[in-house]
Amino acid sequence: MTEITIQLLGFIAATVLIVVGMGGMLFLDNLIKKVIAFTLLSDGVNLLLVALAYIEGGIVPILLPGMSISEFTSRAALVFPAGIVLTNIVIGVSTTAILVALVIMLYRRYGTLKASVILKGERR
Amino acid sequence: MMESISNLWSIPLLVIIPMLTAIIVNFLYDKAIKPISICSAIIILIISIISPYGYHWFTGHPAFNPDTLLFTFNPNIFGYRLSLEFIFGPLQHIMIVISSLILLFCVTLSTIGLTKRQGPYMALLYLLFMSSVIVIMVNDLYHLWIVVEIGSLIVVGVAAASGTSISHKAALKYAFFSAISGAGLAVSLALILGLTGFANISDAIIYLRQFGIGDMATVLYIAFGFFVLSWMYAGGLAPIHPLKSEVYGASYPHATVLLQVQSKLMLVAIGIIMLRLFSMLPFVKEVMIFLSVITMMIGVIMALIQVDFRWIIAYLIISHSGLVTLGIGLGTQEGLVGGIFQAVNDIIYMTILLLCCEALFYFGGKTSTKEAYGIAKKSPFITTAVILGAIAAAGIPPFNGFQSEIILIQACLKEGLPEIAVLILMVSVTTFIALLRGIYRIFLKPPELQDQDDSNVDLPKVLIIGIIIFIILSIIIGIYPDIVLRFIIPVVKEVLLI
Amino acid sequence: MIELSSSFIITAYIMLIAITIGAIAALLQKDLLRAAFISGAESIALAFFFQALLAPDLGLTQAIVGTVLLPGIIILGVFKTRRTEED
Repeated sequence: MTEITIQLLGFIAATVLIVVGMGGMLFLDNLIKKVIAFTLLSDGVNLLLVALAYIEGGIVPILLPGMSISEFTSRAALVFPAGIVLTNIVIGVSTTAILVALVIMLYRRYGTLKASVILKGERR
Repeated sequence: MMESISNLWSIPLLVIIPMLTAIIVNFLYDKAIKPISICSAIIILIISIISPYGYHWFTGHPAFNPDTLLFTFNPNIFGYRLSLEFIFGPLQHIMIVISSLILLFCVTLSTIGLTKRQGPYMALLYLLFMSSVIVIMVNDLYHLWIVVEIGSLIVVGVAAASGTSISHKAALKYAFFSAISGAGLAVSLALILGLTGFANISDAIIYLRQFGIGDMATVLYIAFGFFVLSWMYAGGLAPIHPLKSEVYGASYPHATVLLQVQSKLMLVAIGIIMLRLFSMLPFVKEVMIFLSVITMMIGVIMALIQVDFRWIIAYLIISHSGLVTLGIGLGTQEGLVGGIFQAVNDIIYMTILLLCCEALFYFGGKTSTKEAYGIAKKSPFITTAVILGAIAAAGIPPFNGFQSEIILIQACLKEGLPEIAVLILMVSVTTFIALLRGIYRIFLKPPELQDQDDSNVDLPKVLIIGIIIFIILSIIIGIYPDIVLRFIIPVVKEVLLI
Repeated sequence: MIELSSSFIITAYIMLIAITIGAIAALLQKDLLRAAFISGAESIALAFFFQALLAPDLGLTQAIVGTVLLPGIIILGVFKTRRTEED
């Protein structure tokens, strides 16, 4: 049995969020709930990336005055995934805004929010 | 065209000028949009033609040779670049020149067709072009992930701009899937970063070659799996091709031109990166060839049963993306040359077909075979152009489709896969049949009803000039393929070594 | 310098439970406005979790984005369409 660290808890939470988000996006009928599930999926991926960057017994990657560089680089948690997550958060906000705009336009055309009615194939 | 140590001046300009044009044009109204956008497209074309070759680094430096204490570009010297970088080489040169030529015509055409909300629509077209330029220049995984995500959002915007309900639905489905593909690519970026410690692709490859894969193979397979998902999504490959085919079929034809340019460039770029990173794993090429085979088959079969001309072309774009994927998946020198050359040729002859489809809008606004008829009498020029486009798409000499397909067929036969060579021929023949079926019903069939108006419709001059230029380009490349091949062959030699 | 990283384990456990409950509850609501609010609460729990994982800058960003921006956009969508889910 592996020891339960914060990183393992992070991975478990990320898995839960990704599974709930993906399942909600695929199987729920209401379009607004699909958008909420999309935000959950993106939160789960962010948590996965941050949990990958965790170092056991490490310090926050902020260079305080009086800290030597070698001590900082050996003990601080990784920084590059934090950059990836910040970009991911911004992309998530933009995509949610576009999705909600499209949902509103489809609601005006069809009068319902049910995905099974709206996304049915059309005879061409 | 010497390589230089300092950052190249033209790479930032190729990214910033479309972005600035998009921001400025977004805020303008009717009269001012056309000169600014055409001016900007001409500037981009000139910069891409005269630009020398080089790199652009966001931090970092070229490989540092510890023996001679000099910077060097020799790829066999052990040295890490430790940077995020863009590369402008011969492949980028030919692709960006052709894309900016297409951008010039599409931008001019869109100012004629649309009357309201031109500003934001033009901004989206410029951003679409910018994303296709960046994806072919990128050499690190971080920028690759960003441009795939941003590119998918821009495609959503361009698709939804057509205003019909089919286009809104297509855009919604495409936007939902961008979450999965973007998440997958971010996770694979994190995995490769964790394995090798580098985000730069050349550095990661040097690390993997030096230290061997060993028991990292499982993690690399997971990263490869996510890469394949994003590749399928961005390039429109089966089995998730309905996302892309609906986007192609539901947008305006001049927007579909830029959309298919972006997906072909993404196919080539992500495919080459996958070949460089993952070709040492066992089943990588087999997976790519499998994807290409089912894409070719499904695309061309669905194209045979369509009723609307735009949708025939949409499914044919998907099927020919399968040809490009096959070239990349073969992994040999001829295969890769054939695949990239096929992408260039695809862009050109699909532009001819789609511009003729745009012309149908001027004859009453319908492109369905049930509703448009008898165009040959109204405009013999468009009929000739579309028949020449169909011949080019089918791979018949002297047009350019023939040259790339013959390289692909020879590559398949050399690898010992004659069945796939037969499949390429089948795709070629079925493309011709599908296109000719649509062309017959729309253009050539004499109308039964006698009450058609004989008024002359004025096609915009830009459309006629554009079609003629691309037909001439197609014939020139078909007769002298070396014009394009001398840009592609040195890059292929470099890709398969590093 | 204080050894802080191991004292976050209690925070991590509590926030794990909060995230799980919040995520599942947000998707089971009939009232769409309430679903948006619960997703905002779950984002705050996630922000605490980011702090426990030694990324406080991400915790700040997630707290702001996940409580103001994203539920704001979704609530705008709910007001323009309909408030309750249909059967």
